[in-house]
Amino acid sequence: MILQSNDLVKSFGGVTAINHLSLTVEKGTVFGIIGPNGSGKTTFFNLVTGMYPPTSGTVTFNGRNITGLRPHRIAELGIGRTFQIPAPFTKMTLLENVMVSTFIRASSLKESRKMAWEILELMRLDDKGNTLVANVTLEDRKRLELARALGTHPTLLLLDEVMSGLTPAEVKGAIELIRSLRTEELTIIVVEHIMDVILSLCDRIAVLDYGQKIAEDLPDHIVNNKDVIKAYLGERYSARN
Amino acid sequence: MPSQVGQVKANAAKILWRWAPLSILILVVLSIPWIVSPLWIRIVTEVLMWAGLAQSWNIIGGYTGYLCFGHGAFFGLGAYITGITMMHLGWPFGVGLLISGILSALLAMIIGYPTLRLRGAYFAIATWAFGEMVRQVATILDDVTGGPVGLQLHPFLNLPYFYYVMLGVTGLTYLTTYLLLDRARFGYKVLAIREHEEAAEMVGVDTVTIKVKAFALSAFFPGIFGGVFAYWVTYIHPDSVLGAQLTDFMVVMAFLGGIGSLWGPLFGAIVVQLVQRILWLVWGEGTFYLIIIGAAICAVVLFIPNGLIGLMESRFLSPREAVSQLKKTFKW
Repeated sequence: MILQSNDLVKSFGGVTAINHLSLTVEKGTVFGIIGPNGSGKTTFFNLVTGMYPPTSGTVTFNGRNITGLRPHRIAELGIGRTFQIPAPFTKMTLLENVMVSTFIRASSLKESRKMAWEILELMRLDDKGNTLVANVTLEDRKRLELARALGTHPTLLLLDEVMSGLTPAEVKGAIELIRSLRTEELTIIVVEHIMDVILSLCDRIAVLDYGQKIAEDLPDHIVNNKDVIKAYLGERYSARN
Repeated sequence: MPSQVGQVKANAAKILWRWAPLSILILVVLSIPWIVSPLWIRIVTEVLMWAGLAQSWNIIGGYTGYLCFGHGAFFGLGAYITGITMMHLGWPFGVGLLISGILSALLAMIIGYPTLRLRGAYFAIATWAFGEMVRQVATILDDVTGGPVGLQLHPFLNLPYFYYVMLGVTGLTYLTTYLLLDRARFGYKVLAIREHEEAAEMVGVDTVTIKVKAFALSAFFPGIFGGVFAYWVTYIHPDSVLGAQLTDFMVVMAFLGGIGSLWGPLFGAIVVQLVQRILWLVWGEGTFYLIIIGAAICAVVLFIPNGLIGLMESRFLSPREAVSQLKKTFKW
C-alpha cells in the first residue's frame, strides 16, 4: 500500500469535515472518492498534502508518517495534486508554470526547462508553451493543472475534479489522458462528480458522507450499494442502471 | 584578398554597430561628474540612489507581491550603522557599508519570518508599524544616535566620489535583481509565490524560506544606500533618514515605473526626481509639489497599474479593469 489514513479527524470550529476516516490505497491502482458536496473529499486531499494539519489521526505515505509535514516537503516525497478551481501562476507562461514544479527534481534551469517541455508535450500543450496563462481556455488551464502536478514527478497523484466545467467531448479526451498516465509507478486518487468518469477509471471506490466512509468497494458493487444510493446516487440513478 | 579585408571590415562594423549604443551610454554615465555642474552631479547622484532604492522595494513589493511600508527603516538603519561605526568606532567607510547591508538583511529576516505570513493590507500595516518602531528607537537611543539632534559625520566633500560610489551600488542592485530574479530559479519561485502562494507550496516551493530570502535581499541594498547617503550628506537625523516619505517615494517610483519589472523602478525614479526638481525650481522651497505628485500617483495606480513600462507595452485600462487588476495583484 502506498497511502494510508488512520482514524483521521479534521474539525473547523464546530464542523467536523473529516470524521474518523481510515482509507488504504494500494500502489499502482486508480482509487476513486465520491460523495455529496461538503462530504470532505477536498478536505481529505488538503490533509494528505499537508495544506492543513489534522485535528487527530495520521497519514502514512510509503510507510512513512507524513502527518504535519509542510506541503512542499510532501511534494518532494512524491505526492502531487491538482486544484478543483485551477490555480495557475497567471502572469507566467505555461512552460514557466510547469518549470516551477520541476525544480524539486531538476538540477539546473536548463534541465527543468527540458522536463517541462516533455510534460507539456504529454499533455498536448506544447504548442502553447510560451503563451501566458491569462490567454488560454479553461480546458487548457485544467490540463495545465495536471501538467503542473506531473512536473513534481509524483508517485501518488491526487486529482480534484479535473473534469468539472468541461464539455462532454473534452471530458472524453481527459479520460483518455488520465488512462494514459496509468502505470505501475503512478498511483492515482480521483475525486469526481461525474459517475461515468469514476466508473470507467477506477479500480476501487470509497464513498464519503459527512466526513465518514459509508462504503468502499469495486465500482460494480458501489452502484448497487443501498447506503450509497440513499446518500449520493439517488433512486433514479440506480434504476437507470 | 580585397574581399577578405572587406569581410573583416564588415564584421568590425557590425560589432561596432551592435555595441556602440551601450559603449556610448557607459562612457556618458562615467563622464557625467566631469561635464556637468555640481548641482547636476548632485541631482544625478540622487536619481541613482532612488533608482536603487525603488528597485530594492520592487524585489519584495513587485516581484514577490508583498507591499512593504517600512522599507525606509532599512535605509535609516544603514545610515546610522555607517555613521556610528565611522564616528564612534573609527572604522573605514567600506566596512561600515558592508555591516549596514548585512545588519539590514538580518533585521529583515527577523521581522519577515513572522510578518510574511500576513497578506495584503495586513503585511503593509505590520511593516509600517515596524518602520515607526525603528524611528522611535533611533530617537530614544540618543547616546549613540544623537537622538532628535542627529549625528554629524566627518565631512568629505567630494561629489564625483559619491557619484561613483552611488553608481556602483545602484549598478550592483540592478545586476543582482537581473541575475537572481530574472535569470534564476529563485526568480521563478518568487513569481510563483506572488501569483498563487498555495499552489507554489504544493508543487514543492518552500514558500516561507523563499519569502524571507527575498525580503532580506530587498533590505540589504537600502542598508548600503543609507550608509552612502549618511557619508555623502555628512549629517543625519531621524526625520532625514527614517521619515515616512522615504518609504513613500520608493513605493511611488516603483509603481510609476512598473512593479515587478527590472527597468520600471529606474524610469519611475528618473521621472519623479526630475518632476520634483522642476516643481522645486518653479515654486521654490515648500511641500506643494507633494500634492502634485500625490495626484499623479492616484492616476497611475488607477489607470496604468503596470506603470510606464506597461504603458509602453500595452494600453490604458478602464477604471473597472484597473480595480480588478489591483485586487488580484494584492489579494484584497
